[in-house]
Amino acid sequence: MSESSGNGGKWLDAHYDPVAGLFTFSPCVDLADLSGDGESRLVVGDLGSGSTGMKLKVFRGTALLSESTLLDLPAGLVAFFMDLHEPRIPAVAVASGPCVYVYKNLRPYFKFTLPGLEVNSLEQDVWQQAREGQIDPLTLKEMLESIRKKADVPLSMRSLRFLSLETDDMDDFVQLHKQQPIRRQTVITCIGTLKKSTADDDGVSCLVIGTESSDVYVLDPEAFVILSKMSLPAAPTMMDVTGQFDVEFRITVACRDGNIYVLRRELDKPKYCIKLSSHPVGLVRVGKNVMVGCTDESLQGFTQKGKKLWRTVLAAPITTMAAMDLPTRGFQAVLVGLANCEVQLYRDKNLLSTIKTPDVVTSICFGRYGREDGTLIMTTKGGGLMVKILKRTAVFDDRDGAPGPPLAQSVRLNVPKKTKLYVDQTLRERENGLAMHRAFQMDLSRMRLTAAKAYVKALESSLAPVSSSISEPLKMNAVVQGLGPSFKLTLNVQNTAACRPATNLAISFLYDEGLYRMRNPYMRIPLLVPGLVYPVETSVECTSDKGISDIIKVFVLHEGRSCPLLTAHINMPVSEGEMLN
Amino acid sequence: MGLLDKLSGWLGLKKKEVNVLCLGLDNSGKTTIINQLKPANAQAQDIVPTIGFNIEKFKNSSLSFTVFDMSGQSRYRNLWEHYYKESHAIIFVIDSGDKLRMVVAKEELDTLLSHEDIRGRKMPVLFYANKMDLRDAVSSVKVSQMLCLENIRDKPWHICASNAIRGEGLQEGLDWLQEQIAQ
Repeated sequence: MSESSGNGGKWLDAHYDPVAGLFTFSPCVDLADLSGDGESRLVVGDLGSGSTGMKLKVFRGTALLSESTLLDLPAGLVAFFMDLHEPRIPAVAVASGPCVYVYKNLRPYFKFTLPGLEVNSLEQDVWQQAREGQIDPLTLKEMLESIRKKADVPLSMRSLRFLSLETDDMDDFVQLHKQQPIRRQTVITCIGTLKKSTADDDGVSCLVIGTESSDVYVLDPEAFVILSKMSLPAAPTMMDVTGQFDVEFRITVACRDGNIYVLRRELDKPKYCIKLSSHPVGLVRVGKNVMVGCTDESLQGFTQKGKKLWRTVLAAPITTMAAMDLPTRGFQAVLVGLANCEVQLYRDKNLLSTIKTPDVVTSICFGRYGREDGTLIMTTKGGGLMVKILKRTAVFDDRDGAPGPPLAQSVRLNVPKKTKLYVDQTLRERENGLAMHRAFQMDLSRMRLTAAKAYVKALESSLAPVSSSISEPLKMNAVVQGLGPSFKLTLNVQNTAACRPATNLAISFLYDEGLYRMRNPYMRIPLLVPGLVYPVETSVECTSDKGISDIIKVFVLHEGRSCPLLTAHINMPVSEGEMLN
Repeated sequence: MGLLDKLSGWLGLKKKEVNVLCLGLDNSGKTTIINQLKPANAQAQDIVPTIGFNIEKFKNSSLSFTVFDMSGQSRYRNLWEHYYKESHAIIFVIDSGDKLRMVVAKEELDTLLSHEDIRGRKMPVLFYANKMDLRDAVSSVKVSQMLCLENIRDKPWHICASNAIRGEGLQEGLDWLQEQIAQ
């Protein structure tokens, strides 16, 4: 079922055609009720192979309903209402090259061409001379080259094309083109829609066009005249439009200089600018915030005034982004297609769910398709078409997956009120701070002195279990095993010298003879090789049945010396065997 | 009163009352089917999308049906479960022409059959693979495959192809339902 396909149990796999032959990207996909019967169709501007096979395709359900050939590569596609006629059927606008082709009822209806740009006068003069035969193509080329280097106004397409030609082809080119006037044309980079005067879903919309010449045009939907022209510092690549043209609107544009600009009504220059650390690849507005996907594999959130809210790092580069808006449930999020064959759903910076796809997704469109409101349509790199439907029962819980301080940290502790005692103590500490500190320091010094004295005493009388004498550095630890009345006493003796073996050593025990009996209270230790641990074992028997225990002292002695090398005190355990008897 | 009721029941004078729940996605043709099953003089001319639900009553040779014609729109589908308890049979209508939303129909059916008021009961389920007149409609066998109907083992079920606008195939399903309820 759908759980196994990595949808997190939230999506139903309605349709997947891996060989649909649909090569497109998100700006060229839209959903619209093109027949007015309440069933939305999928309109796709298919890029084909990039040079041939550009088509406008319309899907209904799982089937291709119609396709018509496009003359040029589509840069964007939008469905919009251009008039108030009943039934309310939207038109489709396809932006390609310098033109916007408007289709009504899937038939070509109108073609809008962007106004031409200013032509370099020097260039015009040079071509004029060429037409009159005053200069040959080689001179023409030289002059155009010099114009290209110096002039503020760039050359026209024709001159640029001419400059790229081989010497043999120049003559023919000049003959062919010299009679036509020079025109400089820009191309459309992105297209959007803006409601004219009402916010209704089926209100008449204006087209908003971004061009390569760094301009943004707003077109009247009925007469197709330019209502407003705004200019940007760089060529726009993506845009998001909100508001109404007659009231107030906001056009958020991501530009090729890596910045995002916000245009407002009655301003022909950007109002705000968001400077990004890397280039934007996706721009989606969610509510009043703008979410931007960047080439550094990050997703960033900004307010509409350009204040940065958050930034989250993604697992892979972004391929495409789209908004997911479910007004019936009041749910808004953003879908991010990643290069590692995943589509992730983010609400603000929180990852809500992940959809695994069999191929890299190149375009995402979410909306009403057919009669289903929550439909997710994706096309893949290999030309596949995938349709998923959001389950009616799907719930996205907004857990904050981002690492940060845990929730418990922000819970206020119930700190009791300051008592009188506390206040008194604080006052005393404040007044007598110096004296208290001195008293503390004196006590600390005394304690250190006492500790040092005890240590020296232990060293002098070899009371410590470690001998640090240069001639016989030794270490010993003792283990008592058994429950009683007989215990096994194991003494692990180690020579810690670097290379000198220790000889002529013995072990002697000192104990209360009324309590314990020991098999051999005096033992000779063999030669101790440095580094090895020698276990010396003996057995102790407790003779008392009163349930008391005592300390057994162990001395390691050197033959011919009265002072022990080291001493260990063994706290014997209470003999349990005797007590049980 | 009790004695009189029983007596009339034995004599076949009083018809058995059956509550039937008519479910399915929006635009699958539930209201059209119920409309066709009503007597000819009571049929409505225009069918509009149902809001909430409608209650229709009609009589058969031996049974008296009370049909809860539920709205199939997704925002009203959570109303369905409130009527499971009182119903004796279910009619589930599928739009055979809507291949895309077959998964949604399957999802709703699975939710329905796993509901605690339905799960343990041996109530008959009648499927109408509706809109057979459409050009791109899939066959009733294909519909039963797509909905995995073979997995329903604890309930009697039956699927029949129908065209509710012309009333084709409806009576066959209703006869089966009547047979099942009579058992």
